[in-house]
Amino acid sequence: MRLTTHAGSAARKGAEPADRWAVPRRLTRLVLGREGSVRRPVAFLVAAVIIATIITPDFIRPSNLGSLLVDSSFLVVISVGEAFVIVVGSIDLGVESLLASFGMILAWLTVFHAVPTGLALLVTLAGALLVGLFVGFLVARVHIPSFVVTLGVYWGFRGIALLANGGQYISPDSVSPARPFGFAAIAGSSAGVSNLIIVAFGVVVAGQVVLSLTPFGLWLKSIGSNEQAARRAGLRADLLKMSVFAISAVLAALAGIMFTAWQGSIYPDSATGYSLEAIAAVILGGVPFTGGRGTVVGAALGALLIGVINDLIVLLGLPALYEYIFVAVVLVVAGLQARGSVFVK
Amino acid sequence: MTDTHAAGQHRGTEPVLSVRRLVKRFGAITAIDDVSLDIYPGEVLGVIGDNGAGKSTFLSLLSGYHHPDAGEFYYRGTRARITSPARSRRELGIEMVYQDLAMSPDLTVWQNLFLGEERRRLRLFLDRRGMRAQAREVLERMRTKIRPDDLASELSGGERQLVAVARGVLFDRDIILLDEPTAAVSVAKADDVLDTVRELHAHGKTVILISHRLEDVLAVCTRIAVFVTGRLEHVVPNDGLTVADLVHLMFGSRAGRPGRPASQ
Repeated sequence: MRLTTHAGSAARKGAEPADRWAVPRRLTRLVLGREGSVRRPVAFLVAAVIIATIITPDFIRPSNLGSLLVDSSFLVVISVGEAFVIVVGSIDLGVESLLASFGMILAWLTVFHAVPTGLALLVTLAGALLVGLFVGFLVARVHIPSFVVTLGVYWGFRGIALLANGGQYISPDSVSPARPFGFAAIAGSSAGVSNLIIVAFGVVVAGQVVLSLTPFGLWLKSIGSNEQAARRAGLRADLLKMSVFAISAVLAALAGIMFTAWQGSIYPDSATGYSLEAIAAVILGGVPFTGGRGTVVGAALGALLIGVINDLIVLLGLPALYEYIFVAVVLVVAGLQARGSVFVK
Repeated sequence: MTDTHAAGQHRGTEPVLSVRRLVKRFGAITAIDDVSLDIYPGEVLGVIGDNGAGKSTFLSLLSGYHHPDAGEFYYRGTRARITSPARSRRELGIEMVYQDLAMSPDLTVWQNLFLGEERRRLRLFLDRRGMRAQAREVLERMRTKIRPDDLASELSGGERQLVAVARGVLFDRDIILLDEPTAAVSVAKADDVLDTVRELHAHGKTVILISHRLEDVLAVCTRIAVFVTGRLEHVVPNDGLTVADLVHLMFGSRAGRPGRPASQ
């Protein structure tokens, strides 16, 4: 409704020369599309890449872009999960702690207890699935706000990550003789492309297919859009809500596996700050905070945008702490575009 | 409520839906109190009553949104359970159009139309093209200007009403429940809604209509059920009734129409 009103008023005002915003407004609409459109993060990312290249031409070198994609792959994967949660109108603050704790659990199983790699991976992912379902249960059936439940996950699973090895990291060298990670190949490369990039890309494609091409994806959007209408249409809103937390937790654990393989070790305080970055990525990706619409690809692009900022800070030799300020600025911009800035309503 | 069931005109016809001794309580309040009623195919049944008389609750029991504390449903003579909106719709062919016309504003018209009953390809995927085409066909058949790809948030109240009814037409439901269909639309559009009801009637659909606007009920209904504080007090055929008669049935002696005996 807002869109038609806007289009109507823009057309009307366009006739008056007094409205000097009419043309830029229409142009911005053309470039950025309507709310939730994937065109917005694409435009942001293109702008960021151009600016980064101007600031430091090193940015556009293939080797730099390659490492940028690898560095961003973990955030991309958890942002996809976060996008599912936000599409139904909830939030997941716990993903970074799940990443760290399931990374620790995997390393603990394989290094300290010599559990076969396949079994350990299965236990890790299944464990995350159960945690996600339980979180979803607390949100959907016990009606505790997702912010509160996942804040609990955030603290609790950071604690579990710390407990796994008494606050110490785990690496193949933690035992003697060393037990190399059997899953290290996840951080290897195929045909010159890092497997981490391939996995992240696969997750994004699968997530987008599920969200926009299957009934399940449509149901999730309808719940975020108007839960009562969804219930009246006969949808099992509780189960659907549980499922998004399960998806988010499993993807967080997958990111934990990737992270552990890539780093060759896992620290209990790994991925600190990733939850908020994932949420920022989803918002940057054009998914409204209230849910109901949006794309997985947008969230992934939002994650890459944060990656570009991080990368730029490294290339410029700035202290890493600048990242926080840059992300804040970009978030405000993203919030403005989602909210309806001067140009786009 | 003995002689007033007015089944006379339907004698020999099997009811499409019957309810027997239905009870629904919300805490200490008995919203539906021992209601029995037969609904006949092709009729337009008006349900009237004061606020809180149980009209909406009655429909929500038929639609499966609420579950009765006691009582039975019979669908074409066979005992039926209405345990969920999905079951009410798919197995008993009952489509409910809610008063607030709740839709998913972020979804398109075709997505709202098919929500929960999507057509699929390869079992897993949405048959988007097929659903769009079918939605377009039904919307055109109903002579609306609504397009399948319009966002639900862009629709007016009257258009949302039409989309909600279109759902019933799309899936060829037998019974369409309308809760205050003229409440959410402008007065000018109310006549369009009544035309839609007449059209559904002409196509042999059974319609149950709740309305505060007694003149609307008189205009389109073939039979009128009067609820008073959760009880079904009267069921009368709509021949030669006036608004004053309905008010009298709703409020009984309180309305105080001298010179007319209470119908009970």
